[in-house]
Amino acid sequence: MIRFLVPIVCLVLFFVEPIFGLFSPLSIDGSLYYVVPRFLILFLIFLTLFYELRHALFYGLFFGLLYDVFYIDIIGLYSFLYPAVCLIAAYFFKKIPQNLLSATLLALGLLLAMEVALYLFFQLIGLTDAPAGTFLASRLWPTLIANALYLGLLGWVFRSMMVTQDPQRGTKFGLY
Amino acid sequence: MPQFLSNKRLILLLIGVILLVALISLTLRDRGQVSLPEQIVKEAVGAGQSVFSRPAHFVTGVFDNIDSLINTFEENRLLKARLEEFAGVQAEVTDLRSENEELKELVGKEEDLREFNPIQAVVIARNPDQWEEKIILNRGTNHGVKENMAVMTAGGLIGKVTIVTPTTSTVELVTTQNPNYRVSAMVLGEDDVFGLIEGYDAERRELLLKRIDFSVELKEGDQVVSSGLGGIFPKGIVIGEITEVTIDEFGLTKLAYVKPAADFSMLNHVVIADRLMPEVDGEDNGMTEEEEEES
Repeated sequence: MIRFLVPIVCLVLFFVEPIFGLFSPLSIDGSLYYVVPRFLILFLIFLTLFYELRHALFYGLFFGLLYDVFYIDIIGLYSFLYPAVCLIAAYFFKKIPQNLLSATLLALGLLLAMEVALYLFFQLIGLTDAPAGTFLASRLWPTLIANALYLGLLGWVFRSMMVTQDPQRGTKFGLY
Repeated sequence: MPQFLSNKRLILLLIGVILLVALISLTLRDRGQVSLPEQIVKEAVGAGQSVFSRPAHFVTGVFDNIDSLINTFEENRLLKARLEEFAGVQAEVTDLRSENEELKELVGKEEDLREFNPIQAVVIARNPDQWEEKIILNRGTNHGVKENMAVMTAGGLIGKVTIVTPTTSTVELVTTQNPNYRVSAMVLGEDDVFGLIEGYDAERRELLLKRIDFSVELKEGDQVVSSGLGGIFPKGIVIGEITEVTIDEFGLTKLAYVKPAADFSMLNHVVIADRLMPEVDGEDNGMTEEEEEES
């Protein structure tokens, strides 16, 4: 079942991201907030943690490549970042208590790292000249809050989706 | 994985990183061109994306409708007040238009920089990572879209086409940080003043109109439109209005801050302007050789 479910969920999340991107930037009280939907990578991190790393790496590479070609026109950026983030997730998850809460926090921490890495990269190639303060206030926090909401709502769905696929795994993880 | 990095993995990782850097630098160099495999991917993703964006637009449309219903009373009162004014203006416009046509016939001028063939398009996606201000439309070369064409909403100019495939096109918005992004513009007034829209002040959220003659007096509130002299954009697309006039960094020309007329936050239906007058190759930068020497 999960053979078909995972790619379908990935595909849906991939296409839903830019639609949520249409709502951004949000203007609240005259200041702009960029909310970047990172649904797919958060799902892939959960896939790494609760299912299997190799699947996550494969989907990360595939959808990262699509993302690069369709939106960014720099091939190799997301197709590197997505699998890299999954690898790091797998590495750290072994060292911390393995439950939903810690997985969510880990995923958000990795998201933060990824956003900072992207900021540095785009600054390096000169596509942005926003100072670090602006980046923090108008991009990083709004993005993290929005994606935390998303994970809070759907994290347990993802987890139960993956855990029920493999009865042996189900006994390994407690809810909290 | 017994160890995070065994020797074999380390070598693989190194090769991967080298490949990655090579790929990134290769694709960074010619971002304007799309190779065939890229084009195929863009087509396929674009097709899938339009399937998803249609219901999304429907839903946002419903919310917009509800939103506008709430404001109907207030708007109606305002509009009624404007209506009387409008009748007068309308009469004047038809009068001027016919006069203009007569005069054009007299002079024997048939083509006009203003005229363009509008191509209606729907925004199917906005670059979700938003580092670059890009949107993707569901029209491409099959519908007559070409690179560097102007894209606008009812409000005014929003950007220009940077990449086209047969059924999709990528639009870079004027609010981009790209330093090579220029639009030749003019300020409407008794005498038209010409300048270039070059750059965007992200903090003020206003465009920069540069290279204005130092001796020219500009007022706040003056309207800025595209001049059509860049070779690709039609003339007269509203860009915005001037909010502040200062002197540029070299002190040789004036610089004006222009508040964009279009709303960039919820883009849905846009129009691509296909100019009727023959287009000039290149970007709509309106740089003459003299200007290039000056700068």
